[in-house]
Amino acid sequence: MKSVVIGAHLLRDDVEPVATAIPVGDLYLSAVEVPDDQPVGDRELLLKVAGVRARLLEAATFVAIRYGLSLASPDEALGKCAAHLTRWKKVLTAHRDHVEMTLKVAAATTMLRPDRHDFTSGADYLRALHAAQQASNVDPAFREAADRLFAPFSVKKRWEHRDERSVELAALVERARLDEVKAAGEELRALSPAVPFLLSGPWPLEVFADADRE
Amino acid sequence: MSDELEELPLLETLDHLLDRGVIIAGEAVISIGDVDLLYLGLNVVLANVDAIIRTSKR
Repeated sequence: MKSVVIGAHLLRDDVEPVATAIPVGDLYLSAVEVPDDQPVGDRELLLKVAGVRARLLEAATFVAIRYGLSLASPDEALGKCAAHLTRWKKVLTAHRDHVEMTLKVAAATTMLRPDRHDFTSGADYLRALHAAQQASNVDPAFREAADRLFAPFSVKKRWEHRDERSVELAALVERARLDEVKAAGEELRALSPAVPFLLSGPWPLEVFADADRE
Repeated sequence: MSDELEELPLLETLDHLLDRGVIIAGEAVISIGDVDLLYLGLNVVLANVDAIIRTSKR
């Protein structure tokens, strides 16, 4: 069997019995056990992990680990995570009562995604791809309204260019104030009915898992 | 509710699962211009180039 890792948690009880707990230093990884020959890209596994991830978040906030990491043994877990443990513990302790919310906004200005066939250099293609992402932007009035409406309950906020067509506001909010976040989303919809956006969450620590690097 | 709206939560969930969170298996760092690009091990091949560029900026 191999372990498909989902997140890093402060307590064993934050993981069990929803998922398998793998000790790494003072922390615990959550994982789903699957046969060695099951591809990580298997659709059913993907859906199963998504479900477990949601149930884990109901128990407690955790650091999300990008899907695709699978481990053969607890020793391998420690080896791969050792460099992160101090930072994770700090983040998990500081944000135990916080979750992330995401406001994905359709870009008002966009640049066409470059076609890789137009490039003979991979580096040039990556530069063009990066430039196209950075060119996307949201209406300034919408951005100001979003910043203002989400400010009262946001511990941290960060706008990011996700792709050529959308820009995203990630907000770290108090778990107990999720109803206010949803109300802010409804107010934003009323203020800016012409701007397509999607407010989603709660999510684990995805964007704000890198506190020491900010 | 339309099929599109019904599919939104699942698509958003999968987007977060596949495209967010900490990447563990960074093995080397290469740079293009002023953008550091993380070279990732085979166990994170599901991350796309866009995601790698974003991650490297943090």
